[in-house]
Amino acid sequence: MSAVALAMAVTVGLVGCSNADNTPDPTDPTTSASAPDADVPAGELADPTGTLTPADPTEISVWITSANQAPADDNKITKLIEQELGVTLKYEIVTPDNVDQKIGVMLAGGQFPDLVGTTDLQMRLLEGGALLKLDDMLATGNYPAIAEHVDPYIKKMSYTGGEVEDGLYIIPNYNRFYGDITGGTYYGPAFWIQKRVLADAGYPSLDDMTLEKYFQLIEDFKAKNPQTEGIDTIGFEVLASVGREWGMTNPPALLAGSPNNGGVIVDEAGNAEIYANKDIAKDFYKVLNEQYAKGLVDPESFTLTFDQYVAKLATGAVLGMHDQGWNFQTATDSLRSAGKDEYTYVPLMPVYEGVTPWYADRDVMNTNQGFGVSVSSKIPEKALKFIDLMLSEPWQKVLSWGIEGEDYLVDDEGRFYRNEEQRANSRDLTWRASNRLEALLDVLPKHQGQFSDGNAYGPDDQPEEFFATLTDYDRNFMEQYGKKTWREFVNQPPENPKYYPAWNIGLPDEANEVNQQLTDANVQHLPKIIAGSPADFEANWQAYLDTIDKIDVKVYEDAINAGIQDRLANW
Amino acid sequence: MTNAPVSDLVTATGLEPAAEPASTRSADRKARKAQKARKKSVAKGPKRKITWDIVWAQRALLAMAVPLLLYQVLFKYVPVYGWAIAFQNYKPGRGGIFDQQWVGFDNFEKLFTGVMGERFRQVIINTLGQSILTLVVGTFGAIILALLLNEVKNLGFKRVLQNITYMPHFLSWVIVASLAAVALSLPNSGGFINQFLLAVGIVDEPVMFLTEPNYFWGIVAGTSLWKELGWNTILYLAAITAIDPALYEAAEVDGAGRYRKMWNITLPGIMPTIVVLLIINSGWILSTNFELPYFLGNGLISERAETIDVFVLRYGYQLGNYSLAVVAGIFKTIVAIILVGSANQAAKRMNQETLV
Amino acid sequence: MSSTPVGAPVQPVAQPGAEPAAKPLATLVARPLIRRKPPKTRRKKLTTEHVLFTTANTTFLIVLAAVTLYPLLNTLAISLNDGMDAVRGGIGIWPRVFSLKNYEVVLNMDTIYKAFFMSVLKTVVVVATNLFFTSMLAYALSRSEFVFRRPITLIFVLTMYFDAGLIPNYLLIRDLGMLNSFQAYWVPVIISAFNLIVLRTYMKSIPEEVIESARMDGAGHFRVWWQIVMPLCKPALAVIGLFVAVGSWNAWLDTLLYNSGEQWLSTLQYELQKLLASSMNAGQNSGNMANNAASVASGGQLTSPIALRSAITMVAAVPILCVYPFLQKHFVSGLMIGSVKG
Repeated sequence: MSAVALAMAVTVGLVGCSNADNTPDPTDPTTSASAPDADVPAGELADPTGTLTPADPTEISVWITSANQAPADDNKITKLIEQELGVTLKYEIVTPDNVDQKIGVMLAGGQFPDLVGTTDLQMRLLEGGALLKLDDMLATGNYPAIAEHVDPYIKKMSYTGGEVEDGLYIIPNYNRFYGDITGGTYYGPAFWIQKRVLADAGYPSLDDMTLEKYFQLIEDFKAKNPQTEGIDTIGFEVLASVGREWGMTNPPALLAGSPNNGGVIVDEAGNAEIYANKDIAKDFYKVLNEQYAKGLVDPESFTLTFDQYVAKLATGAVLGMHDQGWNFQTATDSLRSAGKDEYTYVPLMPVYEGVTPWYADRDVMNTNQGFGVSVSSKIPEKALKFIDLMLSEPWQKVLSWGIEGEDYLVDDEGRFYRNEEQRANSRDLTWRASNRLEALLDVLPKHQGQFSDGNAYGPDDQPEEFFATLTDYDRNFMEQYGKKTWREFVNQPPENPKYYPAWNIGLPDEANEVNQQLTDANVQHLPKIIAGSPADFEANWQAYLDTIDKIDVKVYEDAINAGIQDRLANW
Repeated sequence: MTNAPVSDLVTATGLEPAAEPASTRSADRKARKAQKARKKSVAKGPKRKITWDIVWAQRALLAMAVPLLLYQVLFKYVPVYGWAIAFQNYKPGRGGIFDQQWVGFDNFEKLFTGVMGERFRQVIINTLGQSILTLVVGTFGAIILALLLNEVKNLGFKRVLQNITYMPHFLSWVIVASLAAVALSLPNSGGFINQFLLAVGIVDEPVMFLTEPNYFWGIVAGTSLWKELGWNTILYLAAITAIDPALYEAAEVDGAGRYRKMWNITLPGIMPTIVVLLIINSGWILSTNFELPYFLGNGLISERAETIDVFVLRYGYQLGNYSLAVVAGIFKTIVAIILVGSANQAAKRMNQETLV
Repeated sequence: MSSTPVGAPVQPVAQPGAEPAAKPLATLVARPLIRRKPPKTRRKKLTTEHVLFTTANTTFLIVLAAVTLYPLLNTLAISLNDGMDAVRGGIGIWPRVFSLKNYEVVLNMDTIYKAFFMSVLKTVVVVATNLFFTSMLAYALSRSEFVFRRPITLIFVLTMYFDAGLIPNYLLIRDLGMLNSFQAYWVPVIISAFNLIVLRTYMKSIPEEVIESARMDGAGHFRVWWQIVMPLCKPALAVIGLFVAVGSWNAWLDTLLYNSGEQWLSTLQYELQKLLASSMNAGQNSGNMANNAASVASGGQLTSPIALRSAITMVAAVPILCVYPFLQKHFVSGLMIGSVKG
């Protein structure tokens, strides 16, 4: 099917939808959501099976864990859902900060809304018996979009923890990809460096990056530019704030060519061990210690709150840091809105000698996070059908792009794009409350990657959108390196190992406790090691090792290994 | 409300005021003496016996108190069965509180012994240090501010001052903590305390306040003082206004100056308030100070910063170990009751106002 | 209300023969029945000491006011600053790049307005019921002839020091049929032990004769409490009313636990708390790193967590800040927490 034809079909479909409430019965057994051009009169957004129709209104109660706000009363997508499907949603949105308390009382109370959208890594609602097992319902064939969504990954998505019957309970909300993964921005881990540092050094080659080269770049630049807009230039920043301390603890694994597995390195055979007390860690902190002594590391690093850290980056005075891209997005936005692109950051991937960098990984599916149908629901079929319809391509486009003509445009080749006003709208919290269903979409399963017409799942991933929003400075910067996206500055993600990633393996209590103790040892000792006198480095390092020796690390490693073996056997 | 028959009530008062105060007081004194010998008897004591006649005579007072007593028992005491969690390996997923696995005193043993026990002892010390310092500084600060405000004769100025000083109470701890973090940072990052110290020449090098473990308790007390000073003053201010102006006049006639009046009239006048609040607060010593250590603490100073509530959050709630959290709660309650009881007893011995 | 004779009846009066000499400090305050001239007549010689003291005191208090006013002014300045610019920090008491965008975001939330009225309603009901019941009980416990006052006081005092935990409390509310209902807001909090003690101690300081003569005239305890004692307690009730109002206004956990299923029951603090979480939650959950990035990225440009947080704080605090000045006049007329022990 040509893109043009499809674009037309979409257009017609949307026109059709406004007539939908005049259409008495959209049920037509020959229609299927994946062939939108087949059933124009009923509109591609209507439910072809007739389960959810405006003639027979349905109220579905939805419980969602999300930091996003509930939609405004006049939300246009809410209206569209009511018009097309006769569905009204009754939201109960709990923010991630409050969810622990709420889950506790909900389980104790034993009453749940129809749909439960959870992001609880501890799977308490699932294991607490709040959710229906969906396998049998899916087997009826009434939920084609969900079936397509889960089919290839059913083993990975299914629960096997033993507290309740094995099976599929939750439809994952993120990172189940269709087609190619697109998008130009890199949000993963890296040693970031300000663009002006590279520009000043004459755009040096970034291949075979090492810690020495990285810090040399910073040192040279700082020597030439001791001040940035009246403030002292800071060479390197380390965020050690508890809960976000991974900027300080994760680098050794990445330097050693391991992907982000959390606190462990996993070898080829699938054996995991912690690296905090190994030489790869010692070497890294030794370098940091030397750089600290040289005055390149911010002495204030270890007392910074997250706000202060972001503020420092946003002043433009910080030349580099190790972090994950999403973590300092606010600072990037701030710099960009001030037109100071030269102070924003590029990801670099220093590694130890003879190692291939593996900083960028393939986005990992969120298993056991997403929507499930509750055991209290009186209308489980309708509730699941609603999810199924929302996952269909036409609805996915409505949810992630909006309504054609209003929120995005389609060019002659069927490619979706937006004009400046539409882009500005989409950044406006107030506008979004009236025109997006963000909380719902956050937990809904998504058609990430590409739609069948080749358009990206959402505007942020559409390559044309990425280029259109690039500034001249950035465009020139990329040209100097012959690259088209920021993603190209990092490695092509290799195929993930079968068990990957180890950091989301569910751990028993004892192992969690050991993990917490390791974190405590890190945040207490590493700052002292880094900020200590180089003469004391060995002694400080030894004190750190002694502390780790007192922790029952084996409990943690065994639990991780058990999880890996389990995944290798079952996924 | 006023349906109680008048005649009965008259009976009640007719006898009571004359007999009661004297008898309780002497009873108290006797009880105190008798205490060493018979600890149990304090409550019952050699008081006048409670007969059905007295109960009947006081039925109006009982009608006022008993329904609310039952209410309190229902809403506060009945749910305490939830403490059963302390003796279980509690998992929310397993269902109700009585579907859990019972483990006896395992959770207590875990919290109070071994590596965890060592750490728990440290966090108790930190909690005590921070709380006591905060309480002492806060109480002194509030009393002094109340006394000084009392010396302000311009009513409008006084009201404005009161309104301003109590405002920080309405800012969340997150905001106050982040302001404190900035205030304590290096001069370049907006650290105005360092800027001031450098300008005045008290220090030559900026002080890294939040990297020195021994400063932290003081930082907590100081920040709390900043936030709660005006709020804590309200009760004292109100107490001061209740003091009879006649006393000041009498003192003036005797030639007392400003300070002597403050010392001899105002301070004694609010002493009952001070004492009652101190007794009440003594029970909360282990329960305060979560936010500042949580938001301001960092790895370098955690040996002094981590308090019981922070520890319980990290090793209890965050790890889904609710049983441990309840064990800590029970421990805090027991300590609180001992502290309040002792404080109350001490106040009684010093002939001060008491709680019970 | 302000027509209450300034403090006159509330002045503590020594109970005839009731105070043994064993209470030196309290007796200092306990004084003869006769009320003297108002304080205004007290003349002051303008000694150097006096001038010095007044100057020093005024200066000190002004500095203190500046120091305590700073946080609020700083928050206000940040809330009125452009969000993206505010991220850089370094804003004092004046916005660097003025913008109303943060308030626009907060005030454009549909839910805020209904939630505001719910918060007001809740606060009014909680204050009214709490004052009613607390004062009734405080009256009973302040009566020295009441034989059960000690054990009952003890039972209430103890409740300040333990907490049964969320789940049993939740189950109780559920079993009483109060989930998703307005009752869940006020029924569980009609008494607070702390306020009870404050009020009881205050009531003890009311001259015994006042109550006794009313009783002699045939008034029952209920009438004495309502018609004699309550009016005398206005200052204390004002303080407690403030405490209760502030507590109720700032509470959001009750909404989260009991009433989050019904939007109409949502309160201002709860809505703001959610907005706050969404503005600060730039991907805290490591499980959602990449996903959150997208939402953070698209949320950028117009405002930022720190600026939004400040605007939220102002919106939440200003209504309740306005309560104090109204109650203040009652404080001045005198609250006594046990200046005389009964």
